[in-house]
Formats: sequence, C-alpha cells, structure tokens
Amino acid sequence: MLTGTALFLSSILTLAAIYAVIALALNLEAGVDGLWDLGVVSFVAVGAYTYTMLTVSPASAGQSYIMGFGLPMWVGVLAAGIAGSIVAFLIGKPTLKLKNEYFLITTFAFAEVIRQILTNERWLSNGVAGVYNLAQPFKTYFTPSVYPYILLLLLVIIVFIVYVVVHRLTYSTFGRSLKALRENEPLALTAGIRPDRFHIRAFVIAGFFAGTAGAFYVWYSTVITPSLFTSDITFFVWMAIVIGGLANNKGAIVGSVIFVLAGESLRFLDLGSGFAVRMASMKIAILGLILIAILKWRPQGILPEKKVKFSNSSKNS
Amino acid sequence: MESIVYGIVTASIILLGSVGFSMTLNAENFINIAHGQMLLLCAYITLFLNAYMSIVPAAIIGILVTGVFGVLFYKVFYRPIKKRGAMVLLFTSVGLAYVINGVVGTIFGTTTFAYKIPNVKEIIPGMTPYQLLIIIAAICSTLFLHYFLTKTKIGKAIRAVSENSDLAKTRGIDTKRTSNYVWFIASSLAGLSGVFLGVIGSIHLEMGWNQILIILAATVLGGLGSIYGVMAASVVIGLSMELGVLMIPSYYRLAIAFAIIIIVLLIKPDGLQSLWNKSGKRVA
Repeated sequence: MLTGTALFLSSILTLAAIYAVIALALNLEAGVDGLWDLGVVSFVAVGAYTYTMLTVSPASAGQSYIMGFGLPMWVGVLAAGIAGSIVAFLIGKPTLKLKNEYFLITTFAFAEVIRQILTNERWLSNGVAGVYNLAQPFKTYFTPSVYPYILLLLLVIIVFIVYVVVHRLTYSTFGRSLKALRENEPLALTAGIRPDRFHIRAFVIAGFFAGTAGAFYVWYSTVITPSLFTSDITFFVWMAIVIGGLANNKGAIVGSVIFVLAGESLRFLDLGSGFAVRMASMKIAILGLILIAILKWRPQGILPEKKVKFSNSSKNS
Repeated sequence: MESIVYGIVTASIILLGSVGFSMTLNAENFINIAHGQMLLLCAYITLFLNAYMSIVPAAIIGILVTGVFGVLFYKVFYRPIKKRGAMVLLFTSVGLAYVINGVVGTIFGTTTFAYKIPNVKEIIPGMTPYQLLIIIAAICSTLFLHYFLTKTKIGKAIRAVSENSDLAKTRGIDTKRTSNYVWFIASSLAGLSGVFLGVIGSIHLEMGWNQILIILAATVLGGLGSIYGVMAASVVIGLSMELGVLMIPSYYRLAIAFAIIIIVLLIKPDGLQSLWNKSGKRVA
C-alpha cells in the first residue's frame, strides 16, 4: 500500500515537474513580458512530435510517420527545443505586432490548427492512433520498480536547470527590458528598447523550453497522440502560474505542483465505480473554482512578483 | 445547393453565438471565454427539460434560464473584480468555463445526446423545416437586436456605455441596469445558438469549446467589438466552412475558420468593419 501511494505520488510529481517547465517558459513570455499567449501548447506539441519522430525507429507495418531516425535522446530533446523556437518565430513574427486581444486569439487558433493537422495527417505522425511504447531515458540501468523515482529525479534536475536559466534571464538586462515594455511601452521605447525585437526573443526562448517540455512529456507518457495536446494544457499552465504568482519563477513551480496535486488528489475520493468517467469533469470544475477563488482573493498569486530595488551606486561611491 | 443551405444554417448559429460575445466584449472590455459554455449550458438544460416536455417549450425555458444564469454569473464573478482589469476578468472567465463544463459533465457524463424531436420531411429540396427555422430565427434576432440597440432607450444606453462608460455614467445612465440587459441578451442568444446546434447535430461536452473558437474567429474577422462586423463575419465564416468542405477534407472545417482569421489579421487587423468604418474606430 505504501509503495503504491509513493509510486502514485512520484508519478504526479513528475507530471508537475513537466508542467513546471512549461510554466517557467510561459512565465517568461507572459509574466515577465506581457504577452497573452493562449497557444503555448503548440510548442509543446511540436516539440514532443519532433522528439518522437527523431528518436523512434522507422515506422513498422501498419504505422506511418515520417523520419524515425532512431537518434540519441539528447539530440531529440535539443531538436524539440529548436523546433519549438522555430514555431514560436513563425507564429510570433506576424502576430506579435498585433494588440493583446488579437494576439491571444491568433495563438489560440494556431494551437488548434496544429492539433488538427496532427490528428488528420496520418502520413505525418500516425494520426489519432499515435505512436506507442516510446523509450524512457536511462531505463535499462535500473529495475522497473525504482525507475519512476529515477525519472522524477531527472525531471527535478531539469526543472532546476530551467529555473536557473529563466531566473537569470528574468533579472538580466533582457528581463528588465521586458518588464519595462510590460509596464510602460512608450516609456520603454524612449529608453531605446525596441518592442518587436524583445517580444520575439522572449517568445522564441519560451518556445524553446516549452518544446523541450514536449520531449519530457513523451518520457512521462511513453505514448504520443494528438489528444494529449489540447488547449487544456495551455489553460492548465496558465492556471498554474496565476495560482503560483504571475512573473515569479518560484511561483510558476509552486503553482504547477499545487495545481497538479489538487487535480490528481481527487482520485483518492472513492465514489464507487461508474462515477469514474465523471470524475474528470468534477476535477476540472474544482480546478476552475480554485482559479476563480485565487483571482478573487489573491490575484497576485501565492508568491507575488518581487519588486527589485536598485541601490543608487553612484551615490554610494 | 445543400452546401449553401448548410453554410447559411451554420452561419446563423455562429451569428447568434458571436453577437452576444461581441456585446459583452464591448460593454465590459474583456474576452469572455465562458461564453461558449453558455451554449453548452442551455443545450443541456433544454435536453433535461426535453425529457418532460416537447422541444419548443423546453428550449424557451432553457433560453430564459440561461439568460438569468448569464446575469448571475456577471454579478457573482465578474462585477466584483471589474476594476482589476481585462487579464483577471479573462482568466476568471476561463475558470468559470471549466466550472460550467465540469458541472454539466458531472451531471450528464460524457455521452453524446440528441433531442427528442419529430422527424420531418424536406419542405424545399435540400432544406428541412428545422434549418428554415434556424435561419429565420437568426434573421429575426438580428433585426430585433438592431431595433433594440438603435431605437429603444435602454439599447441606446447600452451603446453609450460601450462607447464610453465614464461619460455615460456622468450623463446619468444606470450602468448596472444596462449590464444586466447586456448579459441577459448575450447569454440567451448564446443559449438559442446552443439549442440549434443540438437540433442539427448532437449535444456533447466539447461543443462549448469548439464553438468559442469559431466565435473568436468571427469576432476577429468582424473587427473586435463591432456587432455589425461580426454579423457579416459569421456569414463569411459559416459559408466558407461549409463550402470549403467541397474542396478540403471535412475534418478541416475548423481549420478553415482559423486560416481565415490568420490571413485577415495579417492583411487587415481591424477586420471587416474597417471596410465601411474608415476612421478605424470601434463601432457598436
């Protein structure tokens, strides 16, 4: 019983870690920069598919997908990130000059179009059937019973690395320029910060990390189908960063953990068989209520954005 | 011919859904993602009532109840946080969308339903009375809305509030009252649209999400917040979705709608309304 609970807990914490990577990426573009991106799932989807297509062996009979080069995993992860960046660049270039509302709608639309293509173009990625039995990293070195903990450990390390990178970006000149644009664009312009350049950079960097998160998601699920990449992911990650605290990187991680725990802990409720299918609905209703409650009573989230104070160094010297 | 009929029917349903969406967008200045779930809510309320009575009274009660729900949701969820800005409102509406969807799903489950409606023969080749009814209802609602917004006192007040709510307030317009009207009308139109979706197709949990995407497409194509632009855009999107199916596989219906908005945004970011509204200003 105890090992069952521990396994379950490690599984949902792994999921939380994957959400945290996407949340950190989204936090950079949406929290630090002020982009209203409702299409972050498109980077995750493209990353996940790029990773899969590059690392699996060629399609067997009855399947059809492109590539299947059987490349090493680290190449796949890197390629997933790059693919995410490329998609971000292609989407961002024409849409970033639009107003917030239009940007939101277009990114939402792009994500949906990408999912439809993945669903319907069977030659590309085996359509709705997807690809199964995908390999997990370092699996051969461990016994199957401890492997879930190893995967969790690996993802915790990855979250830590992404956190350090995003954190440094946030407090660099680049991050401060993004915040300046978010707070007061005309003023930032007079300081020589070009909105188009900075927005696209933030968007492309977010695309990179969200793309790699796609690869990690494949590690976790070991299958890939288009139905994994609905706009629910976008909304869930947004909820996670709103709960944790927009523009706070620790908040993005905390929010992801709380969000996933809150959603999955409902499974412990035993409401009898037959209710299981309705559980998914009840789960999203409760998550929705949590989001509404947070926005109403603690709109800055659990960990609000820290105001950075700059000491006036010229005065001190 | 059949495709054109389907196109007009689809357009009518989109129109009913997106006009209300535009009204709330105008009046409250935020994107109400939960609007799609109002379609779902009404479709399921009507489904529930349909077990005890025929479709017409069921739909009428369902639409009125949905309208009341719309006003209630506004009072409970949106108005108290209105000062916090569009972002907080937007994500509150996302939360509300999940709550509505989740509650409906918990009660009804994930099964696909259909209304109990009598089978009818085609009256005109390629058109059933239901399709005709949907088209007529859409036209009547459009005319009613036009009359309401331009001729009645409360309609003019709604337009004044949409244009400049502070100015409207100083001129003595009761903005709380106009908001109640806006949310009631918007939600009941959404409800009507949801029932029609159920009549021509089926009722399932995804319908709200699918429809909000198309509504967003129509809103962008029409020009954010322009009610007449959105009406024209609904017709364009409805027709192109159904006629496009002749050339492109039918599972890309939704993708066609999005391809349109992506193209429009790149060429003419202000949408269709900019064609007749040269100043580039928003119109009601």
